[in-house]
Amino acid sequence: MKYSLSLLSAALLAASAALPAHANNIVPGSAQERPIVLQGGTLMTVSHGQVEGDLLFEDGRITAIGAQIERPDNAQVIDITGHHVYPGLIALDTTLGILEISAVRATVDTNEVGLVTPEVSTHTAYNADSQIIPTIRYNGITHAQVVPQGNLVRGSSSLLNLDAWNHSDALTRADVAMHVTWPAVGLSRSPWERRSAEEQRRAQQEMRDALTQTFTTARAYHTAKQAGSVSREDVRWEAMLGLFDGTKALHVHADDRRQISQALEFADEQGVDVVIVGGRDAWMLADELAARDVAVVFGDAYGLPARVDEAYDTAFATPAKLAAAGVDFAIAYPGNWDTRNLAFAAGHAVAFGLDHATALYSVTLGPAKIMGVEQDLGSLEVGKSASLVVSRGDILDPLTHSVEYMFIDGRLVEMDNKQRQLWHKYQQR
Amino acid sequence: MIGNWRIASCVLAALGTVAVGHSHASQTTPVRGLHDNSPSLVALQNATVVAQPGEQLENATIVIENGKITAVNRNNSAPAGARIVDAAGYTIYPGFIDPYSNYGVPQPGQAERYRRDRPAQYDNPRSGGNASNAAIHSQTNWVDHLSHQGDAAKAYLEQGFTTVQSARMDGIFRGRATTISLANDIPNQLVYRPRAAQFASFDKGSSEQQYPASLMGSIALIRQTLSDARWYNEAQGRTLGDGSVLEYNAALAGLQNLADQGVIFETSDEHDVLRAHQVFQEFDIPVTFVGSGYEYARIDDMRATSSRFVVPLNFPAAPDVSAEFAELDVDLGHLRHWERAPGNPAQLAAAGIDFAFTLHGLESRKDFLPNLRKAVAHGLGRDTALAALTTQAARIAGVEETSGRISAGYHADLVITRGDLFADGEIVSVWTQGREHVIQPMHPTQFAGEYELNVGGQSLNLQINTGARDRGQLSQADTRVDLAHVRRDADTLSFAAQLEEFGLAGVYRFTVRAGSREYLRGSYTDPEGRSHAIRAIRQQQEESSATAQEPAQIEYVSRLSFPNIGLGVDAPAQARNLIIKNATIWTSSDAGIIENADMIVRDGRIVRVGQGLSTPRGYTEIDATGMHVTPGIVDEHSHIAIARGVNEGTEAITSEVRIGDVVNPDDVHIYRSLAGGTTVAHLLHGSANPIGGQGQNIKLRWGQNAEGLKFTETPPTIKMALGENVKQSNWGITNNRYPQTRMGVDAIIHDFFRTAREYQQAHDDYANLNRRERNRTAPPRRDYRLEALAEILAEQRHIHAHSYVASEVVALMQTAEELGFNIHTFTHILEGYKVAPEMAAHGARASTFADWWAFKIEAFDAIPYNACAMMDQGVLTSLNSDSNDLQRRMNIEAAKSVRYCGMDEQEALKMITLYPAMQLEIADLVGSLEAGKHADFVLWNAHPLSAYAQVQQTWIEGAKYFDREQDLARRAEIESERQQLVQRVLDAGSDALRGSRANYREQQPSWHCDTDHDVWRDHALHSEHFGQHLMHSHSHSHGGHH
Repeated sequence: MKYSLSLLSAALLAASAALPAHANNIVPGSAQERPIVLQGGTLMTVSHGQVEGDLLFEDGRITAIGAQIERPDNAQVIDITGHHVYPGLIALDTTLGILEISAVRATVDTNEVGLVTPEVSTHTAYNADSQIIPTIRYNGITHAQVVPQGNLVRGSSSLLNLDAWNHSDALTRADVAMHVTWPAVGLSRSPWERRSAEEQRRAQQEMRDALTQTFTTARAYHTAKQAGSVSREDVRWEAMLGLFDGTKALHVHADDRRQISQALEFADEQGVDVVIVGGRDAWMLADELAARDVAVVFGDAYGLPARVDEAYDTAFATPAKLAAAGVDFAIAYPGNWDTRNLAFAAGHAVAFGLDHATALYSVTLGPAKIMGVEQDLGSLEVGKSASLVVSRGDILDPLTHSVEYMFIDGRLVEMDNKQRQLWHKYQQR
Repeated sequence: MIGNWRIASCVLAALGTVAVGHSHASQTTPVRGLHDNSPSLVALQNATVVAQPGEQLENATIVIENGKITAVNRNNSAPAGARIVDAAGYTIYPGFIDPYSNYGVPQPGQAERYRRDRPAQYDNPRSGGNASNAAIHSQTNWVDHLSHQGDAAKAYLEQGFTTVQSARMDGIFRGRATTISLANDIPNQLVYRPRAAQFASFDKGSSEQQYPASLMGSIALIRQTLSDARWYNEAQGRTLGDGSVLEYNAALAGLQNLADQGVIFETSDEHDVLRAHQVFQEFDIPVTFVGSGYEYARIDDMRATSSRFVVPLNFPAAPDVSAEFAELDVDLGHLRHWERAPGNPAQLAAAGIDFAFTLHGLESRKDFLPNLRKAVAHGLGRDTALAALTTQAARIAGVEETSGRISAGYHADLVITRGDLFADGEIVSVWTQGREHVIQPMHPTQFAGEYELNVGGQSLNLQINTGARDRGQLSQADTRVDLAHVRRDADTLSFAAQLEEFGLAGVYRFTVRAGSREYLRGSYTDPEGRSHAIRAIRQQQEESSATAQEPAQIEYVSRLSFPNIGLGVDAPAQARNLIIKNATIWTSSDAGIIENADMIVRDGRIVRVGQGLSTPRGYTEIDATGMHVTPGIVDEHSHIAIARGVNEGTEAITSEVRIGDVVNPDDVHIYRSLAGGTTVAHLLHGSANPIGGQGQNIKLRWGQNAEGLKFTETPPTIKMALGENVKQSNWGITNNRYPQTRMGVDAIIHDFFRTAREYQQAHDDYANLNRRERNRTAPPRRDYRLEALAEILAEQRHIHAHSYVASEVVALMQTAEELGFNIHTFTHILEGYKVAPEMAAHGARASTFADWWAFKIEAFDAIPYNACAMMDQGVLTSLNSDSNDLQRRMNIEAAKSVRYCGMDEQEALKMITLYPAMQLEIADLVGSLEAGKHADFVLWNAHPLSAYAQVQQTWIEGAKYFDREQDLARRAEIESERQQLVQRVLDAGSDALRGSRANYREQQPSWHCDTDHDVWRDHALHSEHFGQHLMHSHSHSHGGHH
């Protein structure tokens, strides 16, 4: 107990001492020096259900879990009786660190010029000092996939931890996936659309052709490279090599049922594995997605129905339908500042039929798998990274969600942020 | 009669090319060549005359002289000396009248689309005493611009029209139409009624002036203009209050006696009818509406206006569902409209509404007669259909004394058809002012049919089929021979046939023409070259079924609901007396949370809340064991259910515009928000200008019309706005509108409120004049813009001020205090935590977001602790959605204050129930569950602030508007109806593609505070910032635009 007090007061001191409320004045946590025991909590392991007991981590790794664990002599013990421990939440499909204020162009680093920009890589622009990021951590998110935006071949996303000095120490996995925005299908339903149906169809076909062309060229480059016949590098096709040797995933942003179908066919033709991102209509194809073993990053947990006649809860009930069909999925909250609502979005899916354990999986181990880091993140297991959070209660429900400790790779993360500082400042008034 | 019908057709055919009767000269035009004294006395004899709807004369004679009908003789007698036209076998109708046309007048120039690099145009170039707004053309008499337009006239004549009421269709007040003949003559001869109705619409048309850019702006402009016209009349010959001289205003002069002029108002849906009706009603001006084809969807409301209609016959083509899954892009409402639109005229008739037809709006005029017949097939009576083309149209065009009937003294404007016009008849010729226009080459001989003929001693049967390709057969018993070389012109048919099969060696050639209705006569040439006379006797045929039978009643597979979309209801929910049993009731009152509680509801009001209440006799009992009941959620800031524009953001101060004028009861978000427990939504104008428009509070009574949604007990409100949106920071258009800084915002607010005070003073001064002075002095002009501000000064209208940063909030309160008014509620107020003590001192309330921030500079200091911080300082705080998305889950927004700053759960619930109700000054009616209040409540299956809570039922005033069980049950029905309609479309094949492609209601966009968009001029281009909405919604980014 005394350790926990000292830890807490250290955190508060750090916050109040550094109060010139400007820029991100939160200091990243330092490397774990001593073993830490979280004592007496409810451990939501995700991989092995709920465990009442202690959790020990050393040098940034979980070393023991259970009711009776051996504690090293020099361990700090934090009594968390009655509280819940979770693996750190992983937010997919975000623009954290590359978008600060959407209305201020100078702070927007999301879209490069051109339809085909596979060469761009988000972590190169990642601002670890973003004012937004500490507010995301505050709601239990330890890692985020940062995704470039664009209209066709966007570029590569990276997975970063959210407590770092710059992108070098933030980088958990660089260039995880190549992102493709699937061309529009069907008839635009936008009230602003002025093109005829025929014009729309033609434009859609042109985009699909451009996509196929891009992949054909990239594959030719890959073949030539393997044959040793590339004399001059092409930065674009270099970035796509991983798609053809299996080191980089293909993430296709597709919402409409027809987009998803086309993307699945395309992936088959290209012989690459695909992840569907967005997946608004994925419930319509749930059986097929399950049969093909295609994962979905569902990005519409609070979504409005896409069509006038659709059931009001279509988006809310989609995770439950995907789960029932056996689709492997993660829930995402695409955005930047609002990504902090990720846990609540998963909770909302529970209100509409998803079981609680799967909801938790969909923001922890589910995304870890899709990011290819499940050996390290996403669950409380011995040997995995000590990236975890302690919440006063159920983390998926805003009524009980209250993150009191966060560790990333064993480092204690400062939970203060600009917003809390402003609050406290004006409380002085 | 047998021998005569051929003659008639010959005469008629000849008339097409020979101009008989009067010449093109008018009474005042000097004659330079020979004087044309051709006789004009004509008698159309032996005709079936439909003199007017319901009055059909057989074998009658119409006598015409000098362009007029001089007699209709039932005894078929013709005056001596008349040129006789034998019209036996023909039907003659009065010429059709189109009361809504732009024939013969010059067309407007195309308004240039917005270009962001061009400065916005705020003023109307002034000339000739015109109106200050470029969409007002009321001074124009279109007769002054009239000319005959041959091709345009032909397009009307071909469909049977002889007369139109015509004006240029451009702008809001479009000027006075003129009712004219489509005859080929100088305008002097064409005019039947020089100054007819004033045409009008909501669409500003070619005006490049900014104002108005929204539907509510157009309505406000109409209201102000009608008021000005009245004032202009009253002020004539009197001194103005300030001693100045009354201006000359041609536009206002042109609107005098508008009720007598008549107004023809073009609408784009049935709600427009009610909107226009309401504003013109304020000035006791009756309106005739040009309909949209959607009238059937709210037919009772249409009837309630007691108005006449002019309806187009532009039925829609079916939505394209040919490709697999194409129906994903098709709304059920569109499929329904495709099926039911042809029934619209029948529905109008059944409702007892008088209406005329117009060619206006038809994409292809060739569709007119087929669509007319479709309307008849959908149940429209033939007499009513004819009246819509003649007598009713004549009344609307103001020429019922001289046009629209075949009667002595009426213009000799006639339509001559072969066959029944409403079945398969065709228009043969059209007469204007006693002169004929031949519509099509005459094909009087009906060759198609079966005949007996004798060839070389053989009796053969002849079968002739005419069509795109004429074909035929000769047969005898089972032996058949196809005809070759079949050729046909107006009255001759020729063919050849190899008759070997019949024992007649060689190829025979035949030529026949009509002898009578019973036989064809002609000759054939045998293989030896000898010609023989021949007679082919027509075999008896069944009467054509098309004319004889009334069409079978059309059976629709589509539902008709309110609103007419998939989620619509058969009728709005009805209130019930009921008792809720065994619930956990969150009262949002001093009673707190009551476990195991009951609630009695009678006549829409809560009677008692407590434990162990017994069920009154006859009350519905609802067992809510395990459920939580809360008051209905009240949203202080919403933009759902608004039609065509949330911002009249053109001018800095637009306090005259009213959201209440444009409530859209068809918005599906009403239903979706009900499903999230919201029952009251305060609809606000956007935030594009410092003083926006008047708010409208609604209850989410799904299925009601716009008036039925209004929460009428709410005191008037108005939107004000500060900061980035107001100064157009993120607009991307050329910024030349004052203000562009927060300094200017404060200055212009100050200026306008000061002016409003002077305005009120002028009105008060006038009211205090003695009678003699008042007679001499013109009343002060009513200015709706300043009037709304004066209401604020008088504390009759409450301000809801969109605001973000500390500086502007303090400045606004200081300005208000200086000028003696109060900022009732700050909305958004993201930096409220910085200035809460000042707000408390001012007496302002606050409605904020739970956790929105960082989407623009002025939101970068927003904190999720704001609500707690303001409450701690004594500022009454609520949470608002400002979003159709968030409005469905305000309970979770409230829970965030529990999460971020430990707010008491009941307080958090009050932030979305009682406190917003207090901010809207309706807390005596809603916001908590207490005896005497409206029974607006929500049943939840869990703790209402929990992530796991799901709304089970939502009730408003004792009527159940949402029920999850029923919603689940309805889903299969909606899907089944959709599939049936898709099947019907597919089954109709290419027929379904016929019709208008642009005839479906557009979905209203999700309006945001900063959606600044000219709904009239420019749908394609919009502000740069708004463009980001599209991008964001596409990439499913959440939030960011307020």
